[in-house]
Amino acid sequence: MGRSRVLRTLFKRDFLYTLYSFGYYGALFASFLVSSFILKNFLDATREEDILVSAFPLNYPLYLTLIIISLYLVIVSAISISREREQGTLEVLFYGPVTSSSFLWSKYLKDLSLGILALGFTALYFYIVSALTNLGFTGGLVRALIMGVFLISCVVSFGLFISSLTGRIRNSIITLIAVLGAFLAIQFVYNMLLGIEKESLSPSMLYLRQATAYVFHAINWVSPFAYLSRGLDSVVLENWTLYLTHALYCVIYSLVFVFLSIYAMGKKGVKA
Amino acid sequence: MKRFLGFLIITGIVLSFSTLLFAQETPFKEQLVYSLTSFNGSTFSKSFCPQSEETIYLIANENSVISPTKTIVYYWPITRRYMAGFSTLNEKISGKLEILQNGKVIATQEEQKYVLYYPKGYWSEKAVMYLNEEADAYHKKYKEAVDAFNQKLKEYYQAMEQYRESLNRFFEEVRRRREAGEEGPLNIPIPKEPKPPEFVGFYASDPAFGFVLNLPPGKYEIRLRRDDGTIFEGSEKKVVVFTSRRKGGVGYEIIPGNRWTKKENCDDPSWVIHAVGKNELYFNPYRQEEYNELYYNKLVDPQEIGRIERFKWVHVDPVEQVTLLFGRGKEILQTVERSPYFVKQIPGPELGYEIIPYDEELQKKGYQPTFESYKVSLSPNLPKTDYQVSVVTAGGSRPEEKSERTIRILKKENASYIYIAAFIPLLVGVVTILGRISKIEK
Repeated sequence: MGRSRVLRTLFKRDFLYTLYSFGYYGALFASFLVSSFILKNFLDATREEDILVSAFPLNYPLYLTLIIISLYLVIVSAISISREREQGTLEVLFYGPVTSSSFLWSKYLKDLSLGILALGFTALYFYIVSALTNLGFTGGLVRALIMGVFLISCVVSFGLFISSLTGRIRNSIITLIAVLGAFLAIQFVYNMLLGIEKESLSPSMLYLRQATAYVFHAINWVSPFAYLSRGLDSVVLENWTLYLTHALYCVIYSLVFVFLSIYAMGKKGVKA
Repeated sequence: MKRFLGFLIITGIVLSFSTLLFAQETPFKEQLVYSLTSFNGSTFSKSFCPQSEETIYLIANENSVISPTKTIVYYWPITRRYMAGFSTLNEKISGKLEILQNGKVIATQEEQKYVLYYPKGYWSEKAVMYLNEEADAYHKKYKEAVDAFNQKLKEYYQAMEQYRESLNRFFEEVRRRREAGEEGPLNIPIPKEPKPPEFVGFYASDPAFGFVLNLPPGKYEIRLRRDDGTIFEGSEKKVVVFTSRRKGGVGYEIIPGNRWTKKENCDDPSWVIHAVGKNELYFNPYRQEEYNELYYNKLVDPQEIGRIERFKWVHVDPVEQVTLLFGRGKEILQTVERSPYFVKQIPGPELGYEIIPYDEELQKKGYQPTFESYKVSLSPNLPKTDYQVSVVTAGGSRPEEKSERTIRILKKENASYIYIAAFIPLLVGVVTILGRISKIEK
């Protein structure tokens, strides 16, 4: 059995399994519901006889949608890897033509494909929202959606790396949620504190801001969410060079973490 | 336990008193500071850099002046800033300024003479810096213009005196002839009042001395070397010379008709003006440049704060002699010229003011225009779609570079329906899974 055929078979199995599960659609629904809530508030904020100046009001809901979708895909993959490890399926598979490389690449491609499909749903959702409210389905939004593919790639590859290091399902999920949650929390707190003028901050909050700034800069090239922020910034700046550079960074990041995952799984072995 | 409590109480009392004592103390220190005349993209900002600030920020490839000065510095806790008492002590420090990069001296400078020249008068924002001979020439030009004005003013006062005398003679003649019984037009020439001379339309500051820095972008250090070859203690500073991230293009200050005191800015070309329903928007276009927030704030005042991660647009110059176009696609709906407006306060509990065009009647009453702007009226009957505003040079048809902005009229009445769109994936999921189940069952 050829290596590409193995990859294709594993990919198809996992892809269809997720596609026929309700969780995928549930995650999309949840993210769109949150987006609808945010956009409704935006529309309410633009009061009668008033104006509101903003870059891309759809970008923030898109950011949240991408985070929810990619977290869902990563957790599902982590569960699948750990379950197959715990149940011994992985060991059986590895006696055959399956290698850690083909196994992890199939997981990565499956998550990426489902992510792209989710972005298709997102595009449709934003198109309908724009048609209803005239919030603007612009070229900038399309560029942001394309950048979303690269973010999903980053989150998925990072998630695979964490999953390849952990053994049991529980450990895998806890580690993933803790690490990705910490990345998100740091980014959120940092941006929140940055938005407050220095004079309005108490000394303790000032130290917290400084400390968060150091941590944020330390994780800036590791956290997949930092790549999304930079990518969306390049869309707002309408700078194609920056946009393509960020896309390239995302590809490099994904490749590095997929290869690290393959290496980690090779070292750790297939037994739980 | 009692001893311990007693100790705590005494310590508390002592600390409270010591805090009061410290609070009353205002420490004055004699300090070497750098007086700064920094180019800020449009004009020159005056500030000073106390010892507490390690770095001076300057815009690249533009003249800025720094002058080492010994003065009295004190901390003002209310504003959390160091203040300088230049009126008490303002001692210029002589020496040579060394500019270093990567630890090596790349230039040594001596003080130069400079003046700030304001082409549109002292109260205008725009200023140009002239150095050495040019500084003298511009200052001389200003002095000569002031002298000429004073001469004209003297002549005016003399003319006014003569005018008053001839006016008195005129009234005396009228009275005399009327008393003599003369009727009808008297045909006595009325004396003409002389016009006062106009003050000098430009201004040049008195010549001053300082080190002129005009550096390419980068990080530098400076220090002051005394005439005896030693380094002046406390004169070492880091210098960050920066440039704009984006430049060119037009930004807008928008005055919404319903809240004219709360202006909005639409600076970034990607920003969209979202509106709902009827409104009147007053646009003021500016040339602009985008700078790092921290660097720019510190340039204007070294004690100011800012965020290195953020950028801000700075309005450099107002865009004048242009026409504002409001349209949809290629169709131009309104062609707007700059006009003066007057904010008329309305007495009573209802709407507080009304913005009306400034006309001759208001002028006759002695009122001045409140602001000048380009007015765009958004009618409630406009189709809810995207519109564009841009500025074109007077008589031209091509919009100014990056001056186009979108005004998006939102369909707010459909806001609640967007929740329905969130159900699309659930619907697709149900159809897919049911299709799969029926396929398996078959």
